[in-house]
Amino acid sequence: MRKFLINVNGHQYEVEVEEVGGVQPAAPVIPAAPQAAPAAPAPAQAPAAPVQAPKTEAPKPAAAPVASAPAGAIKVNAPIPGTILDIKVNPGDKVKRGDILLILEAMKMENEILAPQDGTVAAIHVSKGSSVNSGDLLVSLNG
Amino acid sequence: MATMDKINDLYARKQKASLGGGEERIKKQHEAGKKTARERIQMLMDPDSFVEIDAFVETRSTEFDMPNKKALGDGVVTGYGTINGRLVFVASQDFTVIGGSLGEMHAKKITKVMDMAMKMGAPFISINDSGGARIEEGIDALSGFGEIFYRNTLASGVIPQISVIMGPCAGGAVYSPAITDFIFMVEKTSQMFITGPQVIKAVTGEDVTFEELGGAETHNTLSGVAHFKSATEEECMRDIRRLLSFLPDNNLSDSELVNTNDDLNRIIPELNTIIPDDANKPYDMKQIILSVIDNSDFLEVQAGYAKNIIVGFGRINGRTVGIIANQPQVNAGVLDVNSSDKAARFVRFCDAFNIPLVTFTDVPGYLPGVGQEHSGIIRHGAKLLYAFSEATVPKINVIVRKAYGGAYIAMNSKHLGADMVFAWPTAEIAVMGPEGAANIIFKKDIAQADDPVKFRSEKIQEYRDKFSNPYIAAARGYVDDVIEPARTRVHIAAALEMLVSKRETRPSKKHGNIPL
Repeated sequence: MRKFLINVNGHQYEVEVEEVGGVQPAAPVIPAAPQAAPAAPAPAQAPAAPVQAPKTEAPKPAAAPVASAPAGAIKVNAPIPGTILDIKVNPGDKVKRGDILLILEAMKMENEILAPQDGTVAAIHVSKGSSVNSGDLLVSLNG
Repeated sequence: MATMDKINDLYARKQKASLGGGEERIKKQHEAGKKTARERIQMLMDPDSFVEIDAFVETRSTEFDMPNKKALGDGVVTGYGTINGRLVFVASQDFTVIGGSLGEMHAKKITKVMDMAMKMGAPFISINDSGGARIEEGIDALSGFGEIFYRNTLASGVIPQISVIMGPCAGGAVYSPAITDFIFMVEKTSQMFITGPQVIKAVTGEDVTFEELGGAETHNTLSGVAHFKSATEEECMRDIRRLLSFLPDNNLSDSELVNTNDDLNRIIPELNTIIPDDANKPYDMKQIILSVIDNSDFLEVQAGYAKNIIVGFGRINGRTVGIIANQPQVNAGVLDVNSSDKAARFVRFCDAFNIPLVTFTDVPGYLPGVGQEHSGIIRHGAKLLYAFSEATVPKINVIVRKAYGGAYIAMNSKHLGADMVFAWPTAEIAVMGPEGAANIIFKKDIAQADDPVKFRSEKIQEYRDKFSNPYIAAARGYVDDVIEPARTRVHIAAALEMLVSKRETRPSKKHGNIPL
């Protein structure tokens, strides 16, 4: 998940662009970053008009991967910032509610991230050792 | 009319009042999986104990179609009775009468029983099933809401107030429950929201169902508005009776002393092994709570919300205690915005109603992060410090493992006035964890070391040996005693017994200014 702040006529918009890990529409996400990134420094001296252009563009790529994402409907997000210590499941695995999906080390504690309900693991969006922020998508399941 | 006819007429009128909005609407109510206002009171109270008042009250409104719509009782059943043999006052909204909508006289019936509950010092239970303000009665309906909120506020901290949501509760109507002490919701049939899905759709374009927006699950997990969730109305009523068994009638009385037949000197060997050897491993704090209290009889409050802290009622040696405990199994047991709010409100309830506080501490700290800082962790975290400092009930703290930094202070520490602080030998009481502390204290030395990794781990171990234990705090009297985990119940029971006569006064003031 990447966050961009975009200023339009003095209103600040926070746009979140989600990169769906390892799944096909990765391509449209990447150009979104350099496109949207200059938008932040722009309002410093540029008038409002040119800023409007990236504004209308930025949300589009954000919407695209979400619409076509084959990721599971049930999303398991990081409840707390930390590091992925271990991944206990593989895509395709059947899990029951309360099964351990992965171990998230945070605050010097090995936090067990559990399946919120029964389902099949659709995709794992993080890898061992990666740092995650609170709210980042970790695993998605299909019910 | 002969006297006997008058008496017969009385019973005919009462019979009519008891049917509320009529049999057709009662049938509809049942088809929606809901009980009627009177059936609910019967389920809640001791059999045949309910005494109704104001059954003949009607609306005074003559506007629109009101004279044709009006019904005896004006859409709410009020009165008193007993639960577990103890007096309670109740108001139960009748959805079969004009959708349970709240008009002038409807509100007056509710405020009358609230005033009675205050005079008698008995709990007040409000069963909500209403479409909201009765539009036909305009500003008189708003006045009615205001009068109820005002009394909810005056009664707060004087008598326990319980709100039961058993249907829609929308708009202004939500604020009476919000001011009360506990909100019960029933799955699938109850919803609370300020503005409904249609308005939200029109204003923000968001699509949301009633249940997603304000159902029992939502308010018990996401928003923290509700405290209890039940699958059925029967189960909900049982839960309310159970909750009341832990509570006193008012702020001047104590909770009932119950003969629980659980040995106060009971030794709990399994507590000696519950803390993992590795400090990074979680365990289930609930096991500690359940094993220490009488007969493992624990009523958890807000069980689904901010699960990194556990709050609820139990008994020790027959006496009600309010328990607050960090849950290392969820988010490392950190204090964050939501868990601070949850615990602080519970502490204040217990303090208002003379319920001693027992805390089990295993807290790594306040949760770091931009999100937390920008959500006001400073303001919310302060509530917990404030609540513990303000409380004058007996306060007992058992530090079972981590107690670091500001979170150590916030969790019922000696410094905030705890009466007895116990620590297990596994306790780590320090200003911060060994890793962080070593990084700061030995920053230069680590950078200059031949083997920084090895040097750092040596220093971490050195710090751990020196400071990550309960004995430094005990040497200063911040911890009153270091105890064997297996003997925790014995120590708490003895401390509670000693603290029965505790009297502590605060400077007289109108009220404090808790950081809300």
